[in-house]
Amino acid sequence: MSISVADTHGATRRLPAWLDPSLIILGLVGLFLAFLVLLPFGWLAVFSLTDEQGTFSFENFYELADPALFLGPFITTLGIAFGVGILACALAVPLAWLVSRTDVPLRRTLRGLIMTSFITPPFLGAVAWVLLAAPNSGLINQYYRIIFGAGPYDRFVNIFTAEGIIFVMASYAFPYVFVLAANTLDRMPHDMEEASAILGGSRWHTLRRVTFPMVLPALLAGFLIAFLQAMTQFGTPAILALPAGFHVLTTKIWSLFQFPPKTHLAAACAIPLLLVTIVLLRSEKWLLGRRGFTMIGGKTGAPQLTALGIWRYPALLAALFVIIVTVVLPNLVLIRASMLRTVSDSWSLDTITWDNVRLVFGLTHTWTTLENTLLVGLVAASLGTVFAVLIAYLNARRAVPGHRFLSFLATAPAAVPGIVLGVALFIGYTRPPFQLYGTLWILLLAFLTIEMPPAYQQLQAAFRGLNPELEDASRILGAGRLKSLTSIVAPLLKSSVAATWCFVFIGTIRELSATILLTTSNTKLVSVLIYDLNENGELGGIAVLGLVLMAITAIVVIAANRIANVGNVAAGR
Amino acid sequence: MSRLELTNLTKHFGTQIAVDALDLTVESGQLVSLLGPSGCGKTTTLRLVSGFAAPDGGSITVAGKQVSATGIVVPPERREMSMIFQSYALWPHLTVAENVAYGLKLRRLPRAEIESRVRVLLETMQLTPYEQRYPAELSGGQQQRVGLARALIVEPKILLLDEPLSNLDANLREEMRHEIRRLHDRFHYTTIYVTHDQSEAMTTSDLIAVMKDGKIEQVGSPHDIYERPQTEFVARFIGSTNILRGRRTGEHIADCEGLSLACESGAFAPKGDAIISIRPHRILIGAPPAGTPGPNRAIGIVERAVYLGAQRHYIIKLDSGTRLQILASSDVVAQLNDRIGLTLPAEHCRALAR
Repeated sequence: MSISVADTHGATRRLPAWLDPSLIILGLVGLFLAFLVLLPFGWLAVFSLTDEQGTFSFENFYELADPALFLGPFITTLGIAFGVGILACALAVPLAWLVSRTDVPLRRTLRGLIMTSFITPPFLGAVAWVLLAAPNSGLINQYYRIIFGAGPYDRFVNIFTAEGIIFVMASYAFPYVFVLAANTLDRMPHDMEEASAILGGSRWHTLRRVTFPMVLPALLAGFLIAFLQAMTQFGTPAILALPAGFHVLTTKIWSLFQFPPKTHLAAACAIPLLLVTIVLLRSEKWLLGRRGFTMIGGKTGAPQLTALGIWRYPALLAALFVIIVTVVLPNLVLIRASMLRTVSDSWSLDTITWDNVRLVFGLTHTWTTLENTLLVGLVAASLGTVFAVLIAYLNARRAVPGHRFLSFLATAPAAVPGIVLGVALFIGYTRPPFQLYGTLWILLLAFLTIEMPPAYQQLQAAFRGLNPELEDASRILGAGRLKSLTSIVAPLLKSSVAATWCFVFIGTIRELSATILLTTSNTKLVSVLIYDLNENGELGGIAVLGLVLMAITAIVVIAANRIANVGNVAAGR
Repeated sequence: MSRLELTNLTKHFGTQIAVDALDLTVESGQLVSLLGPSGCGKTTTLRLVSGFAAPDGGSITVAGKQVSATGIVVPPERREMSMIFQSYALWPHLTVAENVAYGLKLRRLPRAEIESRVRVLLETMQLTPYEQRYPAELSGGQQQRVGLARALIVEPKILLLDEPLSNLDANLREEMRHEIRRLHDRFHYTTIYVTHDQSEAMTTSDLIAVMKDGKIEQVGSPHDIYERPQTEFVARFIGSTNILRGRRTGEHIADCEGLSLACESGAFAPKGDAIISIRPHRILIGAPPAGTPGPNRAIGIVERAVYLGAQRHYIIKLDSGTRLQILASSDVVAQLNDRIGLTLPAEHCRALAR
């Protein structure tokens, strides 16, 4: 019928393999990523190995042995991060299983409620928990004293403790683990569970020996994300640990930038963090390396739900309790604070006021700040997702030499506290050839770097679940790698891609620790404005701005979920 | 349609040799099966042909043009081939019509032409009613036909099938075998068909290449492979057979523990044991001869007799202890423990090299 088509295609266009245009584009992405990550890392290394005069020396590392400088905060940090990882998994996995694999009532609602937790920036959550559980003024303690008639200094909870920090951080980390675990459970073909049941495995046995091991890659990836987040977070410990009188590594490093700045010492403090991360990522590979988890086939089936019987409603109540405490309560208290002139006022028609709103939007910078935040957020999320897809693809398909190195580069920034990356970027981009300081570009670069690891890890997990034959089928029919990626792989991973985009966008508009060193008065972002208000003790203003930030986030999350669901409906029919 | 030539093709995975200096020629329009047990290298060979894997040695040419050699691999998308996958690999987010049209859209044909060609082919494949469905809404057989349609519509130079029927149930498999052969007779694509199922290979193929340990053991027509196997592996892999081992006593004659067998075809290895294959339905049953049996004749006791409807299956124990399987017409009745005479006709005794 159309021999001419067959002839023009290929034979006349046969280029040498290295000229394959897809490979060139993929290669360029790789180079850009290498540049993105290696430049600040290079500065980090240079600074850690030089003294204030720029002379080579190991002096910085000798000083790390000082418990007050490094060792104490380091151990505290690891302990807190471990606690956060465990608690986040303990909260997320049962919830994911309930929502994805059982007939618990209101499954969609529960899922939606957990997703709303992404909306609150962690440092805002920390402020909320100060309002709720500060030893004296905290609402919980006030009600405790009223209800139980305790003395004026008695308290029920104290958020300014290591346990308090673990709790607050885990409240904001567990949704990440939940998404990974729930997505994996959603995709898992039910016949694997049925195969176990038919062989005589009890429901519990099946759960333990089949379902759980299948979810393990996502679970470990989730634990890692929670752990690394807790280890590198600055906002929450700055708000909760400093008043309690102890340091974690990030706050310690931040304190080294207070006058007189000791940037070289700070760089040296960051190196052990990097090493811990490398060890963690290595052990994940070792744990998961030998199993092939190819789970999406050409065939799909409706998932078989476990009947909970009489446990349906107790399970629902337990899930609701977790969600109310971690998600609903902090947001309610923020709403309350946004309406009151002073935090300790009681909540009644007489005390409600618009003062906080007027204060915030009366500030000259508020509108520019919102514009900047949205612009940088949208661009960073879109570019970041594209890069993460490409790198996860290169790694999953071993498409180019050096894909392992790319994978390492994409995960490495997770080990650098935002504040240290901020300094590195500051140094790197205030001198030729890239004088970007004072523009939004430097913020874009910072966010791309910071958000690459979570974006990449999530997509990598998704790629592991995609049968490579689906892509092979596209290529053998004449589509290049890039075309197959955009027309086959991307739509099939639509929900993962949409989730990744959300992660990056939300991560960007709530980022504080790197941003604070990289903004100028013309390029201010909402998170920095909130920080300024915190310095002035304007908790009501923080609540208003926080709610604005959360409203923007909520709109984006809902929109992205819509897009993902459209894809799922088509694929699942 | 193009001639496909694999020369000295080699592929390692670490220290393991998956494909070992393999030579194979598929003439234009021929359907050749790669048949062998799992792990014999047939799927790797297919991935080398399709360009998803790069060879460590040797080369592949299509219509005289080299597409694979060490260090030079034309990517799959520029080979003008099509492939049918074991998992069907239908794209779950596209409808049947969109799945099938995909390859044509890539070739930037006018929309009207794409639509008409898709319509015609779906008609041929009896898929018209399912045009707007998604793959998950189809049965296994329908999904398989969509996979075939998607591969055929681009009129590939070479068609590759990777165990295409292994996910189907037995009835459907039987039906799809004939479907594949029917489509081949109609379109005559140069085709490689990977399977581990010998009856699938027999039904569909012009030529069968039996593979073992990364090498081709024997290539021939289904008739050739069945009637004239060259090795014990091939004789056993294609259909059931009796293998007798003995001592060479002449060019075409061997002594198997007292049973003297003349072979009219095949050749023994110059050294070592003589190996002879004879199919169960070729052995004739009769009354035991008086005195010592002559060449190609034996006496045995019926150890098991099974009635299969059209046939009877016997296991006969010879005096030497050797057991033979026999398929006889159901008219040939022998009772358990009967002493009977056997004839192993020389024209059906096949001498094997190893």
